[in-house]
Amino acid sequence: MKPNSLDYEQQLKQLKKENRILTKKLQRSQERQIQLEETNQKKESLLKRVILDLEESRDVAEQRTIKLSEALAQLKTTQEQLIESEKMAALGNLVAGVAHEINTPVGNSVTAASTLAEETTSFTTSVMAGQLKRSTLNNYLDLATEASEIILSNLQRAGELIQSFKQVAVDRTSLERRTFGLKSYLSEILVTLEPQLKKTPHQVSVTGDETIHINSYPGAFAQIVTNLITNSIAHGYPTNQSGVIQLDIRHESQQIVIQYQDDGCGIESQYLNNIFEPFFTTNRDGGGSGLGMHIVYNLVTQKLKGTIKVTSQVNLGTIFTIVLPLSDF
Amino acid sequence: MFKVVVGHSNDPDSVEAVAEILEQCLESLAEEAPQAGILFAAFDFDHSLILQQIKQQFPDLELIGGTSSAEISSRLGYQEDSLTLMLFCSDEIEITAGIGYQASHNPRAAVQQAIAPAKSKSSQEISLCLSFIDGLHLSGSKIVEAIKQELNSKIPVFGGVTADDMKFEQTYQFYDQEVCTDAIVTLIFSGKLLLAAGVGNGWNSLSKPKKVTKAENNILYEIDGQPALEFYQYYLNDSAPSLKYPLAVFENNTNKFYLRVPTAHDNQLNSIQFFGDIPQGATVQIMETNAQGILNSSQTSIADALKNYPGTEPAAAIFFSCVTRSSILGTKAATEYQGISAHLNSACPSIGFYTYGEIAPLQKDGAICLHHETAVSLILGTK
Repeated sequence: MKPNSLDYEQQLKQLKKENRILTKKLQRSQERQIQLEETNQKKESLLKRVILDLEESRDVAEQRTIKLSEALAQLKTTQEQLIESEKMAALGNLVAGVAHEINTPVGNSVTAASTLAEETTSFTTSVMAGQLKRSTLNNYLDLATEASEIILSNLQRAGELIQSFKQVAVDRTSLERRTFGLKSYLSEILVTLEPQLKKTPHQVSVTGDETIHINSYPGAFAQIVTNLITNSIAHGYPTNQSGVIQLDIRHESQQIVIQYQDDGCGIESQYLNNIFEPFFTTNRDGGGSGLGMHIVYNLVTQKLKGTIKVTSQVNLGTIFTIVLPLSDF
Repeated sequence: MFKVVVGHSNDPDSVEAVAEILEQCLESLAEEAPQAGILFAAFDFDHSLILQQIKQQFPDLELIGGTSSAEISSRLGYQEDSLTLMLFCSDEIEITAGIGYQASHNPRAAVQQAIAPAKSKSSQEISLCLSFIDGLHLSGSKIVEAIKQELNSKIPVFGGVTADDMKFEQTYQFYDQEVCTDAIVTLIFSGKLLLAAGVGNGWNSLSKPKKVTKAENNILYEIDGQPALEFYQYYLNDSAPSLKYPLAVFENNTNKFYLRVPTAHDNQLNSIQFFGDIPQGATVQIMETNAQGILNSSQTSIADALKNYPGTEPAAAIFFSCVTRSSILGTKAATEYQGISAHLNSACPSIGFYTYGEIAPLQKDGAICLHHETAVSLILGTK
């Protein structure tokens, strides 16, 4: 059947309407597309901003890292300087002790020498006046002999002291390498510490193998032993009880073992892990710098390439075991 | 007798569209004279022309309406850029239209002005007030507050805030042949009208509930003493508040809440601006949802309405759903109405629009409030 003109008109109308609807839908969809694009652009620019912010934060972080590294380096330098000054301070103490120690024999010598000088003057006067008696001569000779002996023995003592101090002091400052007998050197160190030890009731001794000779840095040993002993005296015996401090050296396969032992109050286990850390002290008010044991640790591990371990029992004492590789000597 | 018919055209041409809806209505009316009507039109139409054409066809029609972001009806379902008209005929129900102007200057006076004709004309008790308002000149909450104060609290009030396609520039309210802005228009039903409604939103809590410690009108400054923006950003992983994360507002220690949509924020003041007021002292909670939550809740709203309907055969259904819901649904926007209509008798005429706010009670038979991001289903009839 052939459609009539009314049907065509109807269809045309319908098509026109659909065309309008589609056009409107297209318009709306284009608007939405633009909106989406704008949203995307906004998001993109937001993202760029976020990226910029992140980059800025990263730069700031880098700057801070650099500053922190600088501060850390500065801190390390300061720490090294402090350790150095601590060493120098220890040396200063040593010098003061030495001065005091030498003062006695030199003073004795001076007294003896002045007495001898006075007696000699008086003796000379008697001789010049021709009034010399036998008894006067005998007295003078007795006195001169005694004075000479006093002067000689005291000056010898001073000479000995100076000799050992000189060695230790030179070793401490120069830290030069040389060959020495370990046990006798440790004994020598104890002599230099005599001024300090004399004021305390403690007994310090060195035992062990006398035949061990090593080529190493005696200054480092002097510093280590001094610091260990100073530490025991300062912290180990708070009630002035008398203590026994013992240094024992032995040869063990390819190693030398130096065992330092005191019978003091010991170190509480909570502190054992910290005692080698710089500036760690339980006695800051008492003047502890917290550097002594750190210096010991550094000298053993770096200068002598060895290890140091500490064990301790409260009220029984503390043992430091220093193990040094023999190959290094 | 209470007869309801509906016309719906998606023809973008105003002349053609109005002609089409009138033709559809006339056909359904079958010689019955309509007493009143509601019209929802997309923003781009020539609204004056449309109103003139309707007036010419039905000179005595009590007509109100407004611009919408999308329109729905039992004829074409969900449509954008369309025009839809519902007409009511009854010999037992009186229906009166009214308008109040310059609502932003004096909301109460505008409400009084709008309901005055109904109060003077109708001989029966008011059974329903439908109302469309402008939310861009004055916060919709203030106008709803004025309606609450002017109308007896037993009168059910439903309606919506007119829209303009998410442009938020200008919306229009229709009354008779007038195209107005900053107005409130009402259609008041008097007589033995049976009705029931359901309100659903489908949002779930995202944040802890906290008290509003500082708010002024629609600007929220502090929640629990903390800057509002910080509170939001804590939960949103530092992103800006958006319509996807509205605020639930609990007033007077009830577990019922209405929603407020964030529209802007101020990074300097750490404050957030909402579409609708936030009362100081209320408990608030950030909410979130997904497409399924939206779809389930609108179905709950129509199911509740049907369950509570006091008669047996509703004559019409009216829906108000928030434009933000269609925005969240995106390309699936049409499925919200599909879900709702599945609950209804296919012969039941329905109409609705996507709003900038929904007017409905907070709970059954309770006081009205302005909702956002919510679906409201209203069914009415005389049998």
